[in-house]
Amino acid sequence: MRSILTVAILAAALPAGAAELRFATTSDPNTLDPNAGNSAPVFSLLGNVYEGLVRRGRGMEIEPALATAWEPIDGGAGWRFTLREGVKFHGGEDFTAEDVLFSYERASSEQSDTSSWFAGVDRVEIVDPTTVEFYTETPNPIFVDGIANWMMMDQGWAETNGAERPNIEQGNFATLNANGTGPYRITERQPGLKTELEAFDGWWGEDRGNVTSVVYTPVQNSATAVAALLSGELDLIEPVPLQDVRRVADADGVDTIQGIEARVIMLGFPHDADALIAGGEGNPFADVRVRQAVAKAINVPAILQTVMRGSAEQATQLIGPGLRGFSEAVGPTEYDPEGAKALLAEAGYGDGFAFSFKCTNDRYLNDEAVCTAINTMLAQVGLKPLFETMPVANYWPALRAEDHDMYLLGWSPGTFDAEHPIRFLLATPDEEAKLGSWNFGGYSNARVDELLPQIQAEIDETARQAMIDELVQITSDEMAYVPLYIQPLVWGVKAGMEVVQRPDNFLVLRWIEMPE
Amino acid sequence: MLAYIIRRIFQSIIVLLAVGLVAFSMFRFVGDPIEQLLGQERTVQDVERLREALGLNDPFPVQYATFLGRAATGDFGISYRQSRPVAEIIAERAPATLELAFVSGFLALTVGIGLGVFTAIRRDGWAANAIMSLSLVGVSLPTFLIGILLIYVFGVQLRWLPTFGRGDVVDLGWWTTGFLTTSGLKSLILPSITLGLFQMTLIMRLVRSEMLEVLRQDYIRFARARGLSAKSVNFRHALKNTMVPVITVTGLQLGAIIAFAIITETVFQWPGVGLLFINAVQFVDIPVMAAYLMLISVMFVMINLLVDILYVWVDPRLRIDGRHT
Repeated sequence: MRSILTVAILAAALPAGAAELRFATTSDPNTLDPNAGNSAPVFSLLGNVYEGLVRRGRGMEIEPALATAWEPIDGGAGWRFTLREGVKFHGGEDFTAEDVLFSYERASSEQSDTSSWFAGVDRVEIVDPTTVEFYTETPNPIFVDGIANWMMMDQGWAETNGAERPNIEQGNFATLNANGTGPYRITERQPGLKTELEAFDGWWGEDRGNVTSVVYTPVQNSATAVAALLSGELDLIEPVPLQDVRRVADADGVDTIQGIEARVIMLGFPHDADALIAGGEGNPFADVRVRQAVAKAINVPAILQTVMRGSAEQATQLIGPGLRGFSEAVGPTEYDPEGAKALLAEAGYGDGFAFSFKCTNDRYLNDEAVCTAINTMLAQVGLKPLFETMPVANYWPALRAEDHDMYLLGWSPGTFDAEHPIRFLLATPDEEAKLGSWNFGGYSNARVDELLPQIQAEIDETARQAMIDELVQITSDEMAYVPLYIQPLVWGVKAGMEVVQRPDNFLVLRWIEMPE
Repeated sequence: MLAYIIRRIFQSIIVLLAVGLVAFSMFRFVGDPIEQLLGQERTVQDVERLREALGLNDPFPVQYATFLGRAATGDFGISYRQSRPVAEIIAERAPATLELAFVSGFLALTVGIGLGVFTAIRRDGWAANAIMSLSLVGVSLPTFLIGILLIYVFGVQLRWLPTFGRGDVVDLGWWTTGFLTTSGLKSLILPSITLGLFQMTLIMRLVRSEMLEVLRQDYIRFARARGLSAKSVNFRHALKNTMVPVITVTGLQLGAIIAFAIITETVFQWPGVGLLFINAVQFVDIPVMAAYLMLISVMFVMINLLVDILYVWVDPRLRIDGRHT
C-alpha cells in the first residue's frame, strides 16, 4: 500500500508533459453558445473551438479563416465571401454554405446577443456551394471587421439537439456543448469549475503550437491564482494583479507578459442635465471650460506611475493606438493645475462647486484607487467632488437612471475600429436608431451625428480617416470625455512558454508553445 | 411533547418565510441582472425582451410568491449566469462543501477535545500554556489570512500540498468524492484546517474549562480517593460529564462550518456551494442566491429544531413541564 501511495505522489509531483497547458482566468465564460454571450471571456475561449469566416491574426489584422477570400459587391451593395472547402466540424459534419446561412440567421435572431453585428444586413444569399453574399442597406466598409467573432455552427447539429436559436434565459444544448471547426474541441465542461479541451486532429490549418490538451480553471481570487502559478500548478494566469507583478517577475520559473488592452478608461460628464444631482444652481459641466479644467487638473502620468505601477499608457482619444482609424490629430491633455484654476475662475466657478463623482470598484483594473487619486486631484484645484464607488452590478443601473454627474467609464471597441465608440459613446442617444446607447451624459453635437453615417459608409480609407480626424478634433476640443489611459494587460506564465498576447485579451491556444 | 414539537415546527416555517422575504427584498439592491447577462452591444429591445422573459417586470410580491410556489415543489428556477436549473447546480456543488465541512468538523472535534483534555489535566505545564497561547491565533486571525498563510507556506514554499481546487474526484453517480484519490485527500488538508481552526480552538477552550470545572467536583475527588487510575478518572468520569455542552455547541457550529465555508472556498477555489454563492452575488444571479439562502436557513432551522427536541429528550424536567402546558 505504501509503495502504491509513493508512486502516486511521485506521479503527481512530476512536471507536466510539454504538451499540456493548465491556465486560469478570474471569470468563467457564462456559456458555450457563441450567440448567447457577447463578452471577451466567451469569445476568448470559443475562438479556439469555433471559427468565423474571418479571424484576427497576431497583430489583430483580419485574415482568412473559413472564407478564403472576400470582396465588396459592386459599388458597396454588400460583401461576397468565398468559402474554404474540405472543412469538417468536430462531429465530422462538412462545413457548407447552408451552415453560413444558418449561422447568420441564428446570430442575428431576436434571441441572440450578437444581433447588432448584422444591424445593416438586408439579406444573405447562397450563390453556389462556395460563395455567399451579404447585402447591406448602405455601403459598409467595416462589415468584415465586425464579424471576426461571428462563429460558424453546423445546422444539422444545432437542429438535432434543439439549439436552432440561442436561449439566454433558459439555456439549451449549445450552452454546455460545442461543435465547431476550430483547432480545439471541448471534451469536458463544468460551468464555473473546469473546462477541458483537446487538439482537434481534423483541423484544416497548420499554424499551431505543441499544446494538445488544455485544462482551464476559473480562479476568482487572484492571490490564489498567483500562488498556484508560483507553485507550478498553473502554467498561465490572467490577469496578474498589478501589485503582484514585481513578485511574479522576480520569482524563479515564472515570467510576466505585459501589454496594453484595447480598453480606454475615461471620465464622462452630465452634458444634457439641467442641474447636478449634487444640488446647486444649473449645470457647470455644460461649460466647456469647466470640462477642460477637469482634464487639466488630472495628472494622468502620476496615476499611471503610482496606481498602475507604470504599466499603462496615457490615452489621447477614445481608442488606443494601433486600432483602425486611430487619429494622430490630437495629443494628450497636459497636467496644468494653474491653468485649470484659471479656467474655472473664467467660467465663474473660482470657488469650485459640488458634484457627484461615481466610480466602479470591481470592473476595471484598480478602478477604485484611480478614482481616489482623481478625487484628490480635483479637490486640489478647488472642485468639491462627492466621491462614491460601487460594484458594477449597481453602477450601470445608476448611470442609466441618470443618477450621476461625473463618472468613470471604460470602453473596448468590439470592432477594433474608431467608429465603434463614436456610435456608442458620442452619437446623440436614439433608441430607434440604436445610437448612443452608452452615452449616459447625453453628449450631442450635430456635426458628430452628421459625420457618423458618412464614416460608416465611406469605402475610401483616406477620406474616412479625414472625417474621423475631424470628429476626434471636435470631441477633443469640446472635451466630451476626458480620455485617461489605456488599460494594461498582465499575464503570468511559466518560464520559457511562448504566448501571443493581443490587445483584445484573447488567449489563442494554437499559438502557445510549451517548453520541453 | 408532541404539541411542543408541532409548535416548534410551525415557528420554523414562519422563520423560513421571513428569511425568504428579507432575502427577496434585498435582491433589488444587489443590482440589475440584465447588465451582466447581455454584452455591451445590446439594444433596448434585447433588454426588454429578456426582462420580460425572466419575469423581472413583475411586481415584487408576485416575484416572491412565484418563487415560494416553485420552491415548495423543489424547483428553484434557472440560474441567470449558467442557464441551468439551480437545483441541478446545487446538487453538483453540495458534495464538495459537505465533505469539506465533514473533515473540518471531524478535525475540530477530535483535535479540539484531545487538546482540551490535555490542557486541563496539565494545567500548568509549559506545553499546555503554549497550546493555550497558540489557540488565541485560531480565534483571532481571520479565515482569509490563515488560508493565504497556509497556501504560501505549504503550497508555494514547501510545495507539499496543492494551492487550490479539489484534486481528482471520483463520480459515484449521485455524489462526487475526493476521499478516494491521493490528490483529492491532499487537496482537503489545507482548506479543512483553515475552515475548522476556529471551531477547533473553540471546542478546545470549552472542553478545557468544563473539565477544570468537573475535576473540582466531589465525585472526582472520591474517585481519586478510591485509588482509581488517572486515566480512568480523567476519561471515564470527568470527560463524559463535560460532553453535554460540547455536543450542543458542536451541533450549532456544524451549521456555521457549512454556512461560513464561503470564505475558505473562495480562498482555495473549492468548488462548493459557498463559491457558487459568491459568484451569484457578483453576477446578480438571483435564483441561485435565493436558493442558497433558503437552504442555509432550512439547515439552521432544522439544527435548532433538533437541538430543542434533544433538550426535551435529555432533560426530564422540560418533558414534565411540556405535559402541563
